[in-house]
Amino acid sequence: MNHYTYDEIEVGHEESFSTVITEEMMSSFRNITGDENPLHNTKHYAESKGYPTNVCFGMLTASFLSTMAGVYLPGERSLIHRVETDFVSPVLLGDTLNITAKVQKKMDTFRAIVLHVSFKNQNGLEVCRAKMRVGVLD
Amino acid sequence: MNRNEILDKVTQIFHDVFDDDSIVLTDETTAKDIDDWDSLTHITLISEIEEAFNMKFSMKDVLGMKNVGEMLDILEQHQ
Repeated sequence: MNHYTYDEIEVGHEESFSTVITEEMMSSFRNITGDENPLHNTKHYAESKGYPTNVCFGMLTASFLSTMAGVYLPGERSLIHRVETDFVSPVLLGDTLNITAKVQKKMDTFRAIVLHVSFKNQNGLEVCRAKMRVGVLD
Repeated sequence: MNRNEILDKVTQIFHDVFDDDSIVLTDETTAKDIDDWDSLTHITLISEIEEAFNMKFSMKDVLGMKNVGEMLDILEQHQ
């Protein structure tokens, strides 16, 4: 986990990490949220809708924004204020997500940073992007 | 940009941030007059206004603003 203070962070600062969407993640997310939509949970159904396999829950993808802020940028001192997310392409079971956040802006008055976050899959296709405002605790 | 033009631009920002095109701002408008204008939304407003007007409010500005009229005063001074 990173421990950046507000003053240590500069505009343009980037952090990245990767993750793979697994059956276990999908199952845990379904159990937590109760989202039993078959597009995510039944391969046969997803195939019938034209997808090669189960489509990952959009909010499971977005949940890695929590990881980005809470573990990487700024890390320990993170307090998420706001998230705007676009799901620009489907994420599929088994996909690798490469997630990169860049500091777009610092708000000195509120000791908050604005991050632009891009999610790309193993083929380099952007599947999700987000703008996130995160407070940096003292 | 004159004060009325600034008010129009700020009003548009309020409409976007609160997703409410019925908001009408006056110099006397405060957070009490608009549903959802809480401390976190205030940060969003300040951020959007700073970007739209290409300026930064000082800590003194942010703490001192008592209503929309005082916000417009500050934006006028930055012209």
